Amino acid sequence: MTPKNNIIIGIIVALVIVASYNVDANPIEFAEGLPNLAIVVEEMLSVEPKYVPTALWAMFETIQMAFIGTVVGTAIALPLSMFAARNLNSKYVYAPVRALLAAIRTLPSILWAILFVIMVGLGTFAGVLAIVMYTIGFVAKLQYEAIEAIDSDPVDAVSSIGVSKLQLIRYVVIPESASHLLSQILYMFDYNVRQTSILGLVGAGGIGFYIINYIKFFEYGKAAVFMLVVLATVLIIDWVSVKIRDKYIVKSQHGMEVRAK
Amino acid sequence: MKQIQMTQNSSFSLISTNKIIQMSDVWTSYDSKNFALEGINLSIDRGTNYAIVGKSGSGKSTLLKLMNGMMVPSKGTIKIDYVTPNMNNKKFKKMMHTIGYIPQSLGLVKNITVLENIMIGALPRLSTIQSLLKRFPEHEVLEAKRIISLVGLSGKEERKAYMLSGGEKRRVAIARALMQKPNILLADEIVSELDHVTAHEIMNLIADAQKRMNLTAIMVHHDMHLALEFANRVAVIKDGRKILEIGVEGDNIVDFQTGDLNTEEIMEMYADDSKK
Repeated sequence: MTPKNNIIIGIIVALVIVASYNVDANPIEFAEGLPNLAIVVEEMLSVEPKYVPTALWAMFETIQMAFIGTVVGTAIALPLSMFAARNLNSKYVYAPVRALLAAIRTLPSILWAILFVIMVGLGTFAGVLAIVMYTIGFVAKLQYEAIEAIDSDPVDAVSSIGVSKLQLIRYVVIPESASHLLSQILYMFDYNVRQTSILGLVGAGGIGFYIINYIKFFEYGKAAVFMLVVLATVLIIDWVSVKIRDKYIVKSQHGMEVRAK
Repeated sequence: MKQIQMTQNSSFSLISTNKIIQMSDVWTSYDSKNFALEGINLSIDRGTNYAIVGKSGSGKSTLLKLMNGMMVPSKGTIKIDYVTPNMNNKKFKKMMHTIGYIPQSLGLVKNITVLENIMIGALPRLSTIQSLLKRFPEHEVLEAKRIISLVGLSGKEERKAYMLSGGEKRRVAIARALMQKPNILLADEIVSELDHVTAHEIMNLIADAQKRMNLTAIMVHHDMHLALEFANRVAVIKDGRKILEIGVEGDNIVDFQTGDLNTEEIMEMYADDSKK
């Protein structure tokens, strides 16, 4: 450890202390508040099993919302990513598309949900639209970065044959960038299920609607049922997407031998 | 190996006017100070098997990129069939499909099959719908099958390109170029990383197709022996200049340059190179 590093660490620690003072982040208050948490936990432990079917149904609704949002969002994002890739377009095409995508990403999904609740009213549809917007912003960004990272040799060689841009995309760009795509869609779905679970906070449907309302009425036992269902679902989706990734994505990596079964 | 006899010969100056490629005083630079090519003059007859030989960094790959319009010279003129090669030139764009280009990296699409890679050569002839849906017309599939058997890849049509060996990948690249039904075939060091036997197989394959289809083949090598064995003409490039242009007539090697260059010295230099 050099003296220079010590100084940098000292400065960072000092900044954390000053910032904590400014925003009233007081560790003593945290310690004093712990007994309150115990009360909540105690109430949560009195789980009411008769709400499990409702919770499962609400979760199913949430997953469907996330599914539609992911599929529709990706379907819109893919063509946009082709226009946003710097190695396929002139500046006059990719710059505005990128600006649009950046603007879409600026809003977190919960703010999109508020906007859509205003637009189409309370309910699951507003939530679906919010997830669509969020997915467009992120999948398009991940995908245009994947397109820009593809090997330029086949792009140059195939361009020199005199193929059209659509043909180039179909035969070089999509095959060379698709190995990332499945992985990205899985990640996005996984993430969207979690996000959709909280969209109910602003009245955009899904399981979050139940959680926020039970918490508002201090019915922690009922809220706990719904939260446990979310936790279990997220763990299951995580496990399933790891399996899918292992099966389809690792195999398609370049140079890996594919074992015959 | 051919007996190397240097003779100053003027009969070759009575060349036919059927020039497919003409370069005059071509200069290129990556920045404004350093030139990759310095005043290259080349004229290549239709149907020639032409070789360009030089060490790495001599500017020989640049020459090929100029011929297929991927680069434009900073000075001088190039004509391919009387058209200036430039990817943004509409007239040249229409003739790009007649120029098969095999870069040193081969430029294959790794995640698609051998057949699909080869079909890329036919794309300029297909409609947008046909190519997007991969609905290839029957005669194009037959043509692809014919070329696949010609390059010795029968039975491997459905393999993904990344699963192939180095020699097989080169065969796919050649097949893709032939699928274009080209007039000109440009190949950049296509056999330089291969063992002697495979290199000869690939070179024979190209020589055979060149004669059969009456192609103008322009191949860049760093091995002088290989160039002399297969080419009708060999240009030697050093530090961005053409220092020698020789032709092969039967067992004789004929110097085309008017000046009395240190031809033998250069030949020895490349003979040493290929022994290593």
